[in-house]
Amino acid sequence: MIIRTVFCLLAVGASLAAGAAQAKPRRIVSLNLCADELLVQLADRDAIASLTYLARDPRGSTVAGQVGGIPVNHGLAEEIVPLGPDLVIAGAFTTRTTVALLKRLGVPVMELDVPQTPEAAAAQIRALADRIGEPERGEALAGALLAGLARLPPPPQPPPTAVVVRPNGFTAGAGSMADALLARAGLDNLARRHPADRMGQLTVEEIVTARPDVLVIDAEPGAPPALAQEVLRHPALADLKARRVSVPGRLWACAGPELADAATRLAAGARETRP
Amino acid sequence: MSRLPYPALLAGLAALTAALLAASVRLGYTPLDIPAALSDLVHGRDSLGALVLLQLRLPRALLGAGVGFSLGLTGAVMQGLMRNSLADPGIVGVSGAAALGAVLAFYSGLSNMFALALPLGGLAGAGIATALLLALARTGTGTSLLILAGVALNSLAGALTALALNLSPSPYATLEIVFWLMGSLSDRSLDHVALALPLMALGWALMLRTARGLDALTLGEDTAASLGVNLRRLRLAAIGGAAAAVGASVAVAGAIGFVGLVVPHLLRPLVGHRPGRLLLASGFGGAALTLAADCAVRLLPIRPELKLGVVTALIGAPFFLALLWRLRREAE
Repeated sequence: MIIRTVFCLLAVGASLAAGAAQAKPRRIVSLNLCADELLVQLADRDAIASLTYLARDPRGSTVAGQVGGIPVNHGLAEEIVPLGPDLVIAGAFTTRTTVALLKRLGVPVMELDVPQTPEAAAAQIRALADRIGEPERGEALAGALLAGLARLPPPPQPPPTAVVVRPNGFTAGAGSMADALLARAGLDNLARRHPADRMGQLTVEEIVTARPDVLVIDAEPGAPPALAQEVLRHPALADLKARRVSVPGRLWACAGPELADAATRLAAGARETRP
Repeated sequence: MSRLPYPALLAGLAALTAALLAASVRLGYTPLDIPAALSDLVHGRDSLGALVLLQLRLPRALLGAGVGFSLGLTGAVMQGLMRNSLADPGIVGVSGAAALGAVLAFYSGLSNMFALALPLGGLAGAGIATALLLALARTGTGTSLLILAGVALNSLAGALTALALNLSPSPYATLEIVFWLMGSLSDRSLDHVALALPLMALGWALMLRTARGLDALTLGEDTAASLGVNLRRLRLAAIGGAAAAVGASVAVAGAIGFVGLVVPHLLRPLVGHRPGRLLLASGFGGAALTLAADCAVRLLPIRPELKLGVVTALIGAPFFLALLWRLRREAE
């Protein structure tokens, strides 16, 4: 039984490898929410064979309203192989076991990186668009991101200080996309000067005594209760006289055009501190 | 062995607790000028120091003392009532059941609508577990059966807690079982103090009233009854008190183990093995141990900081093993 299954998988793999030479993939599978969001905006709808189940959750996904009817997967190899994909888009750090198996079977896999600057994000959007044979759409989407950032108002001087507070007290340190967006929006990220622990968490006491002008709260109103969210509601943060800017995670968790919206919100918060 | 007089022992333990309370307030993640912050606070000046002191340092220290007092006192009461030296709220599943109650109240969103639901959920869980155990312990069961029942109860509560967290819609919930099973006092606020402390104090008041009854109970139930002890009321006060104190503690700090086991054992020889005198002493002892453990997690250069239950288990688990070893030797 096992031998037959393996043989069957190998046969599928061989046929997939043979078909991979075609230019424009018609059965694209995504194993990553960020890939889901880009695919929905770049690929023809009938070229998408499956997206992750996360794409349907409006709290985390920017494309939840557009994915109805597209089958979803949970990143398991046994879900993916029967779909006979001619291209699989995966994240560089997620579903590693599935990706390794798909590669062994000869399925073409494209792995998305985690870009740390908007320019790198735009480059990745173009690369993905090229790979699926839609370079014009890629150019338009990348252009929208860069144009949105170019429209940001000039930063106030001196730049107001800011700390990003995420659930569980995680912050945005140097070298992260969030840090790059804060800089574009004219904010001085205090976490750069206040080294967080190796997991990037700050205690409430450290956030309070950093005395930021702007508290960037990465939270979703109406998120289900969790201890992780409590730090965002801590009375000590409420008593701190800082401008609060809310940037939900889905606007800056992925390297997509929505990053421009996140930067616009940050820039608005930065300007409000300097009337 | 010359023994310390009881009032001197109590005064000493209270002083130790006060000193550790002060140490806990002094310890933080950023430098804080305590006298200046205190003066700002007293004079109503709106300073950063006053904010840190009032909203972060004080709640953490007060909760540490309150939770520790609850656990130490409850351990002493349960050991006296069940006449069983291994009865500890953590080991016999009372804390685990409290965590389950608090988890249900919190993740269902009930405590968002009605804040008191959180400690009341803990109280309900702890109350049911204590009543169940007492029903078992009353029928003259030996140490091993009580502990086995406790282990079963603890596993069940832990499994149901994990299930409830897995079913929660929040992606963070599943990992938060660490807090509920190990306990922590980090980033607590005055809101938590206001929620938990009144209920804890109610529990303490109920349990401290059982002192005379517990002394009489050392002579056996019949003798105690003939001495005029109302056993029914004694049990109700103990169950209600333990449920309120442990329920409120676990609801705001998670289940911190071994405090209720270690402290009464260490102090029992010092109070002449009288369960009644052990109560207040164990309360202060528990507060001191919990505050010391909470200072340790902040002093250790490990970030994110260790869960409080890790430190108490590092002290308590070897102690527990040694205790079992001695019991085995005595039985031979």
